[in-house]
Amino acid sequence: MHSSFWIAVLVGIASGSVGPFILLRRMALVGDALSHVALPGIALALLYGFDPFYGVIVFLALASLVIYWLEGNSRVPPDTIVGLLFTASLAVGILIIPKGDIIDSLFGAFPELSLPFLLGILTAAAVLSVLCFVLARRFLFRIVSPDLGEIHGVGRKYDLALLLIFALIVALGIKLVGTLLMGALTIIPAAVAKTVCHGMRSFVVVSAALGGVIAVGGMWLADTFNLLPGPSIVLFGVALFVLSLPFGMRRTQ
Amino acid sequence: MSGNNILTVEGLSVTMDGVPVLRDVNFSVNQGEALAVIGPNGAGKSVLFRALLGLLPHKGTIRWRLDARIDYVPQRFTVQPSAPITAMEFCLLKSPGFWRPRAAFVRQVHAEIALMGLDPAILDRNLGELSGGQTQRLLIAWALLNGPTVLLLDEPTAGVDAGFEDTVYALIRRIQLERGTTVLLISHDLSVVYRYAKAVLCLNKSVLCQGVPAEVLTPAGLAELYGESGYYRHDPKVKH
Repeated sequence: MHSSFWIAVLVGIASGSVGPFILLRRMALVGDALSHVALPGIALALLYGFDPFYGVIVFLALASLVIYWLEGNSRVPPDTIVGLLFTASLAVGILIIPKGDIIDSLFGAFPELSLPFLLGILTAAAVLSVLCFVLARRFLFRIVSPDLGEIHGVGRKYDLALLLIFALIVALGIKLVGTLLMGALTIIPAAVAKTVCHGMRSFVVVSAALGGVIAVGGMWLADTFNLLPGPSIVLFGVALFVLSLPFGMRRTQ
Repeated sequence: MSGNNILTVEGLSVTMDGVPVLRDVNFSVNQGEALAVIGPNGAGKSVLFRALLGLLPHKGTIRWRLDARIDYVPQRFTVQPSAPITAMEFCLLKSPGFWRPRAAFVRQVHAEIALMGLDPAILDRNLGELSGGQTQRLLIAWALLNGPTVLLLDEPTAGVDAGFEDTVYALIRRIQLERGTTVLLISHDLSVVYRYAKAVLCLNKSVLCQGVPAEVLTPAGLAELYGESGYYRHDPKVKH
């Protein structure tokens, strides 16, 4: 339980840190679908007997490269292709994963991790959060105007950097939150923060903090009422979002 | 390239989707000069600018002087209205310290904003809340941050109130004279070209004329450039 708590805090903060950029790039759905790609990775890892975490990392990194390539080479918004491709991978994953492991893979579980592995995940989550803050200006440049960004030396490689950071954060949280819902954990804190924040800097800070609060709050609910952690975290986040709506409405009036 | 020359373009061609948009464009610009680019809709004016900025693949050579610091005011600029990005944060995109900007940079932002006749209070407003005219003036102020030596302005007064148009051009002229900034300007307004540019480039896929406006903008030349229907029908709202 202690290890799950620390994962929730740090992965929650990391999710909240990357969420604003994913949301403003209108990639919320692409990001959500991306987390499904982890499933065949888990399936293959289980089949060949290595830690599913590595299967997840490889598949998510590949999926972000696919999205990056589609964005650069397809005139149609990549949503359709991504939706189809990634839903198909979800289906493939479900067919291959042994029945006993399906629910945990989809909806998460309280993971039992060795100390070095746990420390690895926590360090990675902290580093990725810091990277989001350090690269915030460049990510925002790409959102506001890719052309102006390009002229000022902020090229497409930062789009790829954002996708890879996002994929890695999703990978870190997948054991706890599950492949179906981990994408949502990156979007919900940002969605709540967006309704209450006025500027980009406060948006990122509040979203990061909310990521930690939502993940820990959801974990506490799951632990207290003996629920799955993934759905508890997501529902707790959605409840906060609903509560935040009146603030947003008052601001826009 | 002569010593005073900041840009040389030779044999520039751009093809998009197999269709030639620019053919064998040749011209050069001296430092501190104001060059107006005119031509009908779809003539490739914005494409020329994008090629000069290195945003489009092209054939031919574009040579900027090595010390040229170039900035750009695009014709179209839209941000999601609901995006929580303040005008100040937009300016901070050009500051290395995004989270903790230096006081000198913030002072520079205020100075350029004031120069463009904007109230500093707009710096706290969201980009999506600004009017078209405010956005356009903010974009010009933004382009001036960090002191560019070359400014590319693509229809800089689109969306600005008619009364303020002259003020914007007068400001651009002032910046050109006081700071020695080289200005490349796309305009649909020929009176602007006469008043503010020493050189003009008439473009319709290729260069039809270039030189001093009063000399090259003859009725016959304009008829060739815009067609017999007349240049006064040019609609700046139509996308290029």
